Amino acid sequence: MTDSSVPLDAVVIERSFDAPPALIWQMWTAPEHFKAWYGPDGVTVPVAKMDVRAGGTRLVCLEMNTPGGQRRMWFTGEYREVVENQRLVYTESMSDENGNVLSPSDLGMPQGHPATTVVIVELQDLGSRTKMVLTHTGIAAESPGAAGWAMAFRKLAAHLQAHSARDFG
Amino acid sequence: MLDEDRLSETFAALASSTRRAILARLAEGEANVNELAGPFDLTLPTISKHIKVLERAGLVVRSQRAQYRPCALDPAPLEEISAWAEQYRPVWEARFDRMSDYLMRLRSHQRTDEHDD
Repeated sequence: MTDSSVPLDAVVIERSFDAPPALIWQMWTAPEHFKAWYGPDGVTVPVAKMDVRAGGTRLVCLEMNTPGGQRRMWFTGEYREVVENQRLVYTESMSDENGNVLSPSDLGMPQGHPATTVVIVELQDLGSRTKMVLTHTGIAAESPGAAGWAMAFRKLAAHLQAHSARDFG
Repeated sequence: MLDEDRLSETFAALASSTRRAILARLAEGEANVNELAGPFDLTLPTISKHIKVLERAGLVVRSQRAQYRPCALDPAPLEEISAWAEQYRPVWEARFDRMSDYLMRLRSHQRTDEHDD
């Protein structure tokens, strides 16, 4: 379907910042800093609760003005890996304001699991600068981690690719 | 524009290893419910339920040929998933532009503070 060097179901973005890793870490883990940048244009972050330790939960609210009035969206998740100033891994699912993950029926699905995504932030110390690599990937609720899901998906995609190559080759 | 509901359904459909295995089997060629049930230790109604989920997600189409009704794979929704991931890219890029601006504001504040001291 696409070049095999590009994971089909992940966004990977690399950026360098003119700040030390400890400050970039604060951007992700201190609510007052996180709120200052996380909402894209036109979106504010009125709530950011973060229990930053493996197994700790997070709850983030995004608020936007739409033609139909102000709209709030809630996201909850769990911190999977917390290595200060180096590596942060957390999950994200849509939820209500109490952090209850929206069930498949809430999303209009008769059965199955809600889509959960995983955000991986890796920081590399370049002296006074920091290289940051963000990976945002989809996983299924039944998978223990992003790797399992991504691998299964890539396997399936490769399988389909091989099959269509056979058909048309 | 992507159809969000349809995408959620694709993800839900792919969330089961049994359904992924069914898709992998269908990538080899069409098959009916009996043939699909073969490799799995599952009853026909259970397999039928999985196929219905895949049908609703648009991943499987069933021929109307009576009795046999073979299932075939339609990979189009899988391609949409890659578009789903890509639609996050501009959101993150915009966020990191803001993070960069914010870091600059923090630094200039720090400099002002140092100057005041």
